[in-house]
Amino acid sequence: MASSSVYSSPGFDFSNQLRNNFLSEKGLPLPKATSTGTTIVGCLFEDGIVLGADTRATEGPIVADKNCEKIHYISESIRCCGAGTAADTEFTTALISSNIELHALHTGRKPRVVTAMTMLKQMLFQYQGHIGAALVLGGVDATGPNLFTIHPHGSTDKLPYVTMGSGSLAAMAVFESSWRPNMSRDEALTLVKHAISAGIFNDLGSGSNVDACIITATHTEMLRNVEMPNQRVEKEKKYGFRRGTTAWKRETVKSLIVEEEITHVLGEAMDTT
Amino acid sequence: MNTFADRFSTTGALAELRKAQKAADEEEFSDAMWGSEAGFGSLAKGVPTFSVPNIPDPTAFLRLHTDDHADPTCKIKISHGTTTLAFRFQGGVIVAVDSRATAGSYVASGTVKKVIEINPYLLGTMAGGAADCQYWETYLGMHCRLHELRNRERISVSAASKYLSNLVYSYKGMGLSMGTMICGWDKTGPAVFYVDSDGTRLKGDLFSVGSGSTFAYGVLDQGYRWDLTDEEAQELGRRSIYAAGHRDAFSGNTCNLYHVKEDGWKFIGNYDISKMHYDGPGNVLGATGGGYGYELRVEGLSSANPPVAAQA
Amino acid sequence: MPDMVPMSVAQPQERQFNPYSDNGGTILAVAGANFSVIAGDTRQSEGYSIQTRYAPKVFRLTDKAVLAVNGFAADGNMFVKKVKQRLEWYRHAHSKDMPLRAVARLIQSMLYARRFFPYYVYNILGGIEEDGSGAVYSFDPVGSYEREACRAAGAASSLVQPFLDNQIYFKNQTPAPGTSHPAHLALTDVLALVIDSFTSATERHIEVGDGLEMYVVLAKGSPLQGLELVQGVQEMSTTTDGERVFIVRRNLKRD
Repeated sequence: MASSSVYSSPGFDFSNQLRNNFLSEKGLPLPKATSTGTTIVGCLFEDGIVLGADTRATEGPIVADKNCEKIHYISESIRCCGAGTAADTEFTTALISSNIELHALHTGRKPRVVTAMTMLKQMLFQYQGHIGAALVLGGVDATGPNLFTIHPHGSTDKLPYVTMGSGSLAAMAVFESSWRPNMSRDEALTLVKHAISAGIFNDLGSGSNVDACIITATHTEMLRNVEMPNQRVEKEKKYGFRRGTTAWKRETVKSLIVEEEITHVLGEAMDTT
Repeated sequence: MNTFADRFSTTGALAELRKAQKAADEEEFSDAMWGSEAGFGSLAKGVPTFSVPNIPDPTAFLRLHTDDHADPTCKIKISHGTTTLAFRFQGGVIVAVDSRATAGSYVASGTVKKVIEINPYLLGTMAGGAADCQYWETYLGMHCRLHELRNRERISVSAASKYLSNLVYSYKGMGLSMGTMICGWDKTGPAVFYVDSDGTRLKGDLFSVGSGSTFAYGVLDQGYRWDLTDEEAQELGRRSIYAAGHRDAFSGNTCNLYHVKEDGWKFIGNYDISKMHYDGPGNVLGATGGGYGYELRVEGLSSANPPVAAQA
Repeated sequence: MPDMVPMSVAQPQERQFNPYSDNGGTILAVAGANFSVIAGDTRQSEGYSIQTRYAPKVFRLTDKAVLAVNGFAADGNMFVKKVKQRLEWYRHAHSKDMPLRAVARLIQSMLYARRFFPYYVYNILGGIEEDGSGAVYSFDPVGSYEREACRAAGAASSLVQPFLDNQIYFKNQTPAPGTSHPAHLALTDVLALVIDSFTSATERHIEVGDGLEMYVVLAKGSPLQGLELVQGVQEMSTTTDGERVFIVRRNLKRD
């Protein structure tokens, strides 16, 4: 199809790329995307997977969202934590979630984690790192519990405990010191809380609350804000403004009540049955 | 440019920097630092010394870290953006400036004093690097006082401005940034000199300096006459700064107005630019009453609210 | 083999001299009628890492002058050290503390002496003038300065300054008919505004947090103005019959 077509092709639209490259060469900085400079983790335990995430989203040094959700739904027993460009992680996981659902309907089987992982890595590799999504994918399927990391360029790892994002080193320190094979559900959840807390307190890109998700063969439990160690203290002063604080030049009052008189032309109402 | 010859030359900016560096290394603490001369040191030794990074091209180093046109993310922001004006007329000199300091798109301050009171007879204006103007015009004030003590008479505006011009010229190429008007009254009457960090020095009747100068000139040129009354002249200065504050994003907040007469300068007032837009400068000499801009645009005189005759 | 060139210098190499970095944090100061408050958070960071949760950015210079320094911590600490040294020399030469406006001018000339190799620091000086009024002086890295009623600098300055403009200068607030805005706020109100500024900056700026240090300088003979009721207040002054310096500490969120 000719590039000048008025009809848009499916997928990404590159029509502004030439202009934007020109502008950035001229020194105009491109608008900053919201990034989840993040701590996300996942670990294996005796009968499943625990995923964890902090809830801070940043735009440069500014906190854009104090309580965002970074554990995304893929299928009932597969979830995916996202770090990197917020929009990229959100849309990538949503797209794969959709394709996994179609795949499940097509095959008539419950989806597998490797399937989601393969779809994600193929998509990310195709875009050569331009989709800035760093993911922790975990779930339980017919083959048992599975845990993967997927890097923005499409490489993957399969490990018993994983961390990603700017707080990955802080979280991995906790895992390296305390993770053991075949931990109980409670032990694993406590470990994940500790790992995320390490990111929250020691990495400036991570903060606010802890989200966790426990996936077993029979049940998936999403623990939103399972820990909230950073509640704001009460303000010293009340900041109310007197009516009339804002200066004005002209006042116009418009009546929003419209009065209407209805005259019945015919004696009986229209038959609406 | 950073050639072999440059590195070993004995003249030029780099050589000056090396000399300054050497002087600073040899004598980091002078006797003057102990007493009340603390700040500028002893004037007998001439120009104060500056420390300089010990690298082949210090000028490039400074530009790398301070020039916000080349690199908007550089750490040391030197404030730019200004409107200043000064003009000579029958009744003396009017000096008017805005009060905004910007660092990129951030308004770093809205209360800057851009008129530097060198002494009771001399004023300097500030455009470009705020620190450069403040420091060197204060320094100029000290030398003007020495001139008075040595010669038993006040320094002429011409001589003072030439002193400053020669001084900044000796630092040419090292990154100073100043665009200033030295205004005052001497034996010859009212005088205005434009001096900048390139070394330019111009005598003239009317100048405006800074990013908003084109807007100020627009108002200034159409209203300027030699035989302006004091009140008319003050109003013209105010109105010109208002115009620049209104149209230039890097100028604004308030206008500071000074009038230099035979007996020295006098501070006339500080005027809020948005207040001038809506309500005018208030009950002051020369003001015609009413806002400079708002009514004009909304009271039946603009396309948004056309005159009644046009509607019909 | 005397003429053999080592591999490492065989190729031309380009290096830039970059002695600066940004250690985050925020400082602010407010002047009252006969007091001034100078505050700063205590977090020192580089990139996404916290270097320390307690690195003071506010320093008592004399009983009437307090200096807050923000920007590159190494430059800041060295600069404060040199200012303190010069003030001590002044004390030996004149048997008194340097007046605040003179400290301000001293800081200007010390900063400008490095015009061609600047200290990467934003300074705010707070204290009491010789006439007993509270004063705040703010500086740019190369020494231009101005006396103001309030000023915020550092990482979250663009978050805090508009709040201060609204609450202290009453910008964009029309007073009720027949009344006018107060020229100066009470000390307790100022302290409340400062605490709220920092808790809010901590919420929305990743480089602000951990701890808050607020210095209060009171004019000679001034009453405590409610300061005695503030929890955890500590006196830092050398005498109680001149200007007095107090410090108030608060915790900030650590995430």
